Amino acid sequence: MIFSTSKILLSVWWLLFLSTSLQAAPQLPDNLQWLTNNEDPVYASPDAIKGGTLNDWLASFPLTLRTVGPDSNGSFRGNLLGNQMQLVQVHPNTRKLIPGLATHWAYGDDNKTMYFKLNPKARWSDGVPVTAHDFVFTFEFMRSKEIVDPWHANFFKDELDKATVYDDLTFSVTTIKERPRDELHDHTSEDMRPIARHFYKDMKGFVKKYNWAVAPNTGAYKITKIKKGKSITFSRKKDWWAKDLKYNVNRFNVDKVKFTVIRDRNLAWEHFKKGKLDVFDTTLPLYWHEKSKGKIFDKGYVHKLWFYTESPQSSQGIWLNQDNEILKDLNVRLGIAHSFNIKKVNEQVLRSDYELKQTISSGFGPFTNKQIRARELDLAKADEYFAKAGWEKRGDDGIRVKNGQRLSFAVTYGYDHHTPRLVVLKEEFKRAGLELSLRKMDPAASFKSVLEKKHDIWWGALGGGSWPQYWGQFHSDNAHKPQTNNFTNTDDPDMDALIDAFRSSTNTAERAKLAHKLQQLIHDQSAWIAGLDVPYIRNVYWRWIKLPKVPGTRLLGRRAPYVFDYNGAFEVSDGGQLWIDKKAKKETLTAKKKGKSYPAVTRIDKTFKVEN
Amino acid sequence: MSLFNLNPLTVKKINRFKSIRRGYYSFIIFMTLVLLSCFAEVLVNSRALMVSYEGNLYFPTYGAVIPGKILGLDYEYETNYRDLQKVLKKEGTGFVILPPIPFNPYENDLRDTEFPPFPPSLKDSHYLGTDTIGRDVASRLVYGFRTAIFFSLILLIVSYLIGVSIGAAMGYFGGLFDLLFQRIIEIWSNIPFLYVIMIISSIMIPNFYTLIAIVLLFGWIQMTWYMRTVTYKEKAREYVMAAKALGASNSRVIFNHILPNTVSIIITFIPFSVASGIIALTSLDYLGFGLPAPTPSWGELLSQGSNNLESLWIVSSVIVAMTVILVMVTFIGEAIREAFDPKKHTTYE
Repeated sequence: MIFSTSKILLSVWWLLFLSTSLQAAPQLPDNLQWLTNNEDPVYASPDAIKGGTLNDWLASFPLTLRTVGPDSNGSFRGNLLGNQMQLVQVHPNTRKLIPGLATHWAYGDDNKTMYFKLNPKARWSDGVPVTAHDFVFTFEFMRSKEIVDPWHANFFKDELDKATVYDDLTFSVTTIKERPRDELHDHTSEDMRPIARHFYKDMKGFVKKYNWAVAPNTGAYKITKIKKGKSITFSRKKDWWAKDLKYNVNRFNVDKVKFTVIRDRNLAWEHFKKGKLDVFDTTLPLYWHEKSKGKIFDKGYVHKLWFYTESPQSSQGIWLNQDNEILKDLNVRLGIAHSFNIKKVNEQVLRSDYELKQTISSGFGPFTNKQIRARELDLAKADEYFAKAGWEKRGDDGIRVKNGQRLSFAVTYGYDHHTPRLVVLKEEFKRAGLELSLRKMDPAASFKSVLEKKHDIWWGALGGGSWPQYWGQFHSDNAHKPQTNNFTNTDDPDMDALIDAFRSSTNTAERAKLAHKLQQLIHDQSAWIAGLDVPYIRNVYWRWIKLPKVPGTRLLGRRAPYVFDYNGAFEVSDGGQLWIDKKAKKETLTAKKKGKSYPAVTRIDKTFKVEN
Repeated sequence: MSLFNLNPLTVKKINRFKSIRRGYYSFIIFMTLVLLSCFAEVLVNSRALMVSYEGNLYFPTYGAVIPGKILGLDYEYETNYRDLQKVLKKEGTGFVILPPIPFNPYENDLRDTEFPPFPPSLKDSHYLGTDTIGRDVASRLVYGFRTAIFFSLILLIVSYLIGVSIGAAMGYFGGLFDLLFQRIIEIWSNIPFLYVIMIISSIMIPNFYTLIAIVLLFGWIQMTWYMRTVTYKEKAREYVMAAKALGASNSRVIFNHILPNTVSIIITFIPFSVASGIIALTSLDYLGFGLPAPTPSWGELLSQGSNNLESLWIVSSVIVAMTVILVMVTFIGEAIREAFDPKKHTTYE
């Protein structure tokens, strides 16, 4: 019965789409080369069993279930978007494209257009087929004033141009500017997840009307239960259209994912220790080193996992403002680089938990220049460089002086938990005869001050992104003016030429080569000095949670930082590998009652660790 | 100056003060601490008091940095005297006398195998342990005390100067001037002090003096009300009328006649203002809106301590220190109030 009604419904939709596609019929270019990829290895475990409920927590109940508009930019959005498939996805180990909603894709000659063929099986969670018209609607939706979302409105105006329908399953997306292929994919596929046209019939009063509406999605799970203020439950779609796609087999195993609101992290930790939560993110040193101790760990009920990834890292480090009279001098900058004792900070304060960063673009695979080594602490060399710049004399307080001026800088930063690091650096710089005064402001104010280029030195980071970014940070277009990311005020014709070439190139190999050169130049100019990387995630989980032999993927954390967090269970490109062993759960709980113990397990997986 | 002439009345007050034991002893201990804190560099410092090296004597406490090279070590930066002591002892080429607490409040005493905070230890000379970045708690406590007490004293002097003169003027001139200032003060005192400080210190980084200025913005108000009332009262007395009749100017009447007669009010308030100054700075530092890192401060220690309750030595040291100082100041305040009270037997609640 149910089957037949949905079949009728489907055919009505097909007719509807056929009629609309008859009106506008642009022609596909003839020379398109359709690509697909079903050759890459799968990364899920063949041992996975379906079933069970994964219990996770939220620090606060989401303010909305919309993914756009006011209050939608919370962390819960990841759960909603993670269940919205992309047209094509990046294989999280090989970095190559693999099919998603689309089975085939092609690149236009104009470097602006990407063509897609949708999978005819693709369905929204309410059974309606996904068609090219949904993508056209996405533009209409995002540009609508009703969604009250300036960021998305701008993105769909300044970055994305249009979607063109060729037939119900074939369409193209065009960007405003020319893009290299990697970025083209990001813009047209990753940043453009479809919106179900049939669901938003009347956009008027969107913000209020759809605030708690569960919108149709294309991913493995859908929301099935909402207890306002208390919990949200996602259930696995038993007849998910994509469940048999090559890269989805043996993934998305748990039947339900239940997020319970626990307002305090410490309290959530207590819930975890009682077994009421299955997994817990312990990336923070305090949780990994201090709190993850005791009976449940020693007796092997809870396992610890430290998993290294090779995901793009932020550009953490110190940024020297070259508009500063003293920092203008390359020798001074080199002197600073040789007296920057980040190693001591890492080893003696941060428990060697971090990795020393070597180049600004670490974690970008072939784009990372692995030849570059960050300058090491060497006071003799620092002395030499400072002397070359005329700063050989030291004052009574041990700080270098030149013409009555002291070698003293303020470092601007925004987070209290960075103070210990800078306090140690300050004392270390003192040895080299350089004074550092700490300028801690609240995060927003400090970033504003840096954007306005009011800093001497900024201790900070810009997010990794999918591809290295150089134009914003190092091109002279952005130097000496407020509200740009060129925090070093780098204004160098050689750099400009390389960046321009990097931006206009559409060939990945060539771009990688240019990126290497750029990183070398950034290293040579020493206006950005390398800080720390966090190329891993750390979790603890009850022993009934099972993971593949390699418990993650190379690009894990490209978008979401944690294996088990929402994207762990959901994210269609790299998550959903874990499963629950019900037998083991029963066994463990009985063992816990009786005091029986298992071997303690701490897994440190370095499969994807990049050796520095 | 009648203020400093020890007239019989003053002598009586001083004797009365001395007779109140706990106040008097608190006063002596407190002043000794303040005085000692002025010379904290001699007592609590990483620099040695005296170094004898190859027949030469060095006194590094005050004055320029002595690079390691001069004392036979192989580096350009400031000598680590604790290491030097060990080296010279081994070589026998001289000796080093270190202060009782051989750490300055900024240096990080870090180790290779352990991570701070380190518990109190006689062997390492960390008598109260270290904080989360390996800085000596005792050292930060001492220098934090010095900062707090001088912050509070400077704040007190300036806020009293402003408060007393405006209050006296209000009471003395009365009329429109009084009315106007009353309203201004009422409005001003309704501005939420803490929010203003939070906003200001998120835009600019306060230093010692700007922080005094910020707290002062709202700190001068209290004294005006008392001074206004007292001046009102004194103004109606015959001696003021007499002075006026003799042709004394307004400023002469205020400063030479009225003010000396209100001094008992001012003095009784001083200890409590000192206490509130210390508390103000400590709470601002605790909330992270006070002096910038790495200035040693009690508030910063308190916040570290409360975030690291498993390292009890941090929070307990600063709480004990604060309690002792504030209790002593309160004792002094009580004693002064009593000494200036014309009535011999008064009970305070």
